[in-house]
Amino acid sequence: MRSSKRGSALVASGMVGALALSACGGGGGGGGGEGGEAAQGGRVVYGESTDFPENLFPNIAAGNAVSTANILRGILPGTHVILPDFSVVYDENLLAEEPTLSTDGGTQVNTYVIRDEAVWSDGTPITADDFEFTWRSSRSGDPADGGCASVLSTNGYEQIASVEGSGENNKTVTVTYETPYSDWQGLFSGNFGGGLLPAHLMDNPDPVALCDTLTAGWPIGEGIVGDISGGPWQLLADNIDAGAQTVVLTPNPEWWGEGPNLDQLIVQNIGNDPTTAVQGLQSGELGVIYPQPQLDLVDQVEGLAPTVESDITFGLSFEHLDFNTLDPHLGDINVRRAFTMALDREEIVAQTVGQFSSEAEVLQNRIYFNNQPQYQDTAPEEYKQQNTDMARQLLEQSGYTAGPDGIYTHPQRGPLNIQIDTTANNPLRQQTIEVMIPQLREAGINATFNANPDIFAGADKPTSLEAGGFQAALFAWVGAPLRSPTQSIYSTPQGDNVQQNYSRQGTPEIDALFQQFVSQPDPDAQTELGNQIDAALWEQVATVPLYQKPTFIAYQSAIEGVEDNSTQAGPLWNSETWTAAQ
Amino acid sequence: MLYFTIRRLVGSVFVLLASSFLVFALCAASFDPLARYYTLQPRPPETFFANLREELGLNDNFFVRYWNWLTGVVTGDFGQTINGTPVADQLFGRMLVTGRMIVLAMVIAILLAVVVGVIGAVRQYKASDYVLTFVVYLLIALPTFWFAALLKEFVAGGVNDLFGQQVLYTIGEQTPGLELYATSSEIWLDRLGHLVLPTLSLALLAFASWSRFQRAAMLDVLGSDYMRLARAKGLTHRRAVLKHGLRNALIPLTTVVALYVGTLFGGAIITEQVFVWNGMGRYLLEDGISNNDINVVLGWLLVSAFFVVLLNLVADILYAVLDPRIRLG
Repeated sequence: MRSSKRGSALVASGMVGALALSACGGGGGGGGGEGGEAAQGGRVVYGESTDFPENLFPNIAAGNAVSTANILRGILPGTHVILPDFSVVYDENLLAEEPTLSTDGGTQVNTYVIRDEAVWSDGTPITADDFEFTWRSSRSGDPADGGCASVLSTNGYEQIASVEGSGENNKTVTVTYETPYSDWQGLFSGNFGGGLLPAHLMDNPDPVALCDTLTAGWPIGEGIVGDISGGPWQLLADNIDAGAQTVVLTPNPEWWGEGPNLDQLIVQNIGNDPTTAVQGLQSGELGVIYPQPQLDLVDQVEGLAPTVESDITFGLSFEHLDFNTLDPHLGDINVRRAFTMALDREEIVAQTVGQFSSEAEVLQNRIYFNNQPQYQDTAPEEYKQQNTDMARQLLEQSGYTAGPDGIYTHPQRGPLNIQIDTTANNPLRQQTIEVMIPQLREAGINATFNANPDIFAGADKPTSLEAGGFQAALFAWVGAPLRSPTQSIYSTPQGDNVQQNYSRQGTPEIDALFQQFVSQPDPDAQTELGNQIDAALWEQVATVPLYQKPTFIAYQSAIEGVEDNSTQAGPLWNSETWTAAQ
Repeated sequence: MLYFTIRRLVGSVFVLLASSFLVFALCAASFDPLARYYTLQPRPPETFFANLREELGLNDNFFVRYWNWLTGVVTGDFGQTINGTPVADQLFGRMLVTGRMIVLAMVIAILLAVVVGVIGAVRQYKASDYVLTFVVYLLIALPTFWFAALLKEFVAGGVNDLFGQQVLYTIGEQTPGLELYATSSEIWLDRLGHLVLPTLSLALLAFASWSRFQRAAMLDVLGSDYMRLARAKGLTHRRAVLKHGLRNALIPLTTVVALYVGTLFGGAIITEQVFVWNGMGRYLLEDGISNNDINVVLGWLLVSAFFVVLLNLVADILYAVLDPRIRLG
């Protein structure tokens, strides 16, 4: 009987490779959870198109991969989750009630109450000790301060003064900040690239020994320390096949929440070749894919309907232009304004992301995205439509004269040739620039396309953004719903330290607004500040937002519950609720 | 022979040294393993960058870095990836994956090449020769990636539709997670289903050019005096062709096959990419070049170059062994 089930699992087509172990219902082995009416059992293969992780510890360089985040999503518990509509809500599985926020006396205090039933997969209760350890392991990158240089980000944690436990079973956590921190919901949260760490398995009172533990992380060959999980899924070391680049997630037997409904969630690295993803779906070898959208790919997948369903949404990554204000031409605000006015951004969107979805629209804000409730269109009217005449006037005001070929030239700066750099082998960006070039030429600006392989390299590569060896650059910022990290993009550079302000343009007004923005925990007040900042950024036009990048999810119709979450939460954000028809 | 072998081995060491130095220089000049962190939001602290530079040895000068790598390799340490995994740990497993594909492809390709080459020569300018020549040139003209994609699209789909079940697979070396519930025979069947298309893809393209060599060599032999003598002595045509002709005509193919291994390694890079086989090819592309990881690229280079050099040496030696008229000294 069992053998025949295996056999049928092997030959099942249209679904995700093989299907159920316990397909006949009734009898045993139905995985975890009281499933209610949800179908139990089955397996789904998720085709991971980003790099297979070499290390599963998310707080160090080696674990900083999208694939790691996707795997850990259902393993490391966290205080907040990001929903597909970009809202940030507390995780009711971990917390018994909504965390409190107090900003009395110039500091900030957050209180979390952990559910009594919340335990790690080895039965150890999740307590304030885990919060305290998570903070301590990420609070500093300076070994002299007891920190660890391997830690990828100390953002937010460095502002915490203390993390204290209290209450019955140490389940109440009080986090006190030295100064208010607006993005507090992003700390202790798996959806934001981290999550709670198991203190009982990792803590060490000696900072040097602790740093060694953190630096070693969780190598893929060894798996997660103690095979630990505090979420619906568990990854046993035996279920990692680093050679075949697959991991098999199975239900956490100690999980106290609902789901998972599947017996196995398999993450298989398939590379970023779109043909592989489509053919994998077509043959039934893959259940869910989340590739970078390309026109051919989207068309092919849509052709697989109704067996396969797909959806395009717009995520937290946006394409924009950066002008290098150290460039002789682009240092002149009139040139930057003329450049921006010469662009028909509606047309750019129509010719690029508009091909994917009719919902694509021009992004008019750098701090918030079109589909965030905080979003306001802060762009001045003069930049909303192409205005070639006005652009020419501005250039002439700055001393430019049109040459016989229609291109403006300046007596000192020379002809108005602007090279737009972007990443190599990115058709969407190339198409964006190719649409821009004739638009700019109408205004007398001679723009050219340059695929720059060193664009994101360090300052030792002369043409990199860091080194400032470019004129204009087109690339994307990958963001989060919580927007404080944008400070490093727009703050005035301090000497050689530009942070991420590659345009090298800043004003005291913007700096002051950002100071308030990052320390304002009240969401409404912060929204107002964010939109004020963006209005001030438009006055400088050192950067021009273009559009949000689309994300694309496709899955077998037989799998229910799949929904794109185009934030860091990723496509597996609700995988414990998925069911597979058998 | 011994002197020849030693001389070739010593020469090979210099080839490996020179190629590794050249590739190291190219990678060191163009790779920046820290690039992916500069635009991370939030940006990592400066202590992080300083620490990573130190860990990866990026603060050392070029020659010190190369010397460190070289001395490590001599002791069997191929260094670590930028994410801290020992390269040597990966190389062995990856070699097995690629080796499995290449060896099987070679066996299939040799058998096919011999059969098609002999038929083409024996039935020269007959209909069968024209048909085979057409097919062979078609295969030679096909780019590897396209041929592999065609196999996936039409052969896999067609065969699976024909059987009404998944017989041929297009992704990976085996169905992931299968070992958690399947029997060993089911696993082996599954592996075979995964092996067929990538192996065929590699084998058919290799066989195409080999069969032309085999045909030409066979034609040479068929026109030789000793073949006429064999027939004059009363041997049947079949016996003369197979016993006297084919054996001699196989000698050039041996060399061609051994020399072609480097090309097969190149073809395997594409094939592995298309069929998502995590062998040496994907290691080079995904872990090496995409990740700006110099140790991975050099690990791949050294292993690949070693096998190419070794098989070239084997080809030379085999040539002498198979044909007593050739003397190496």
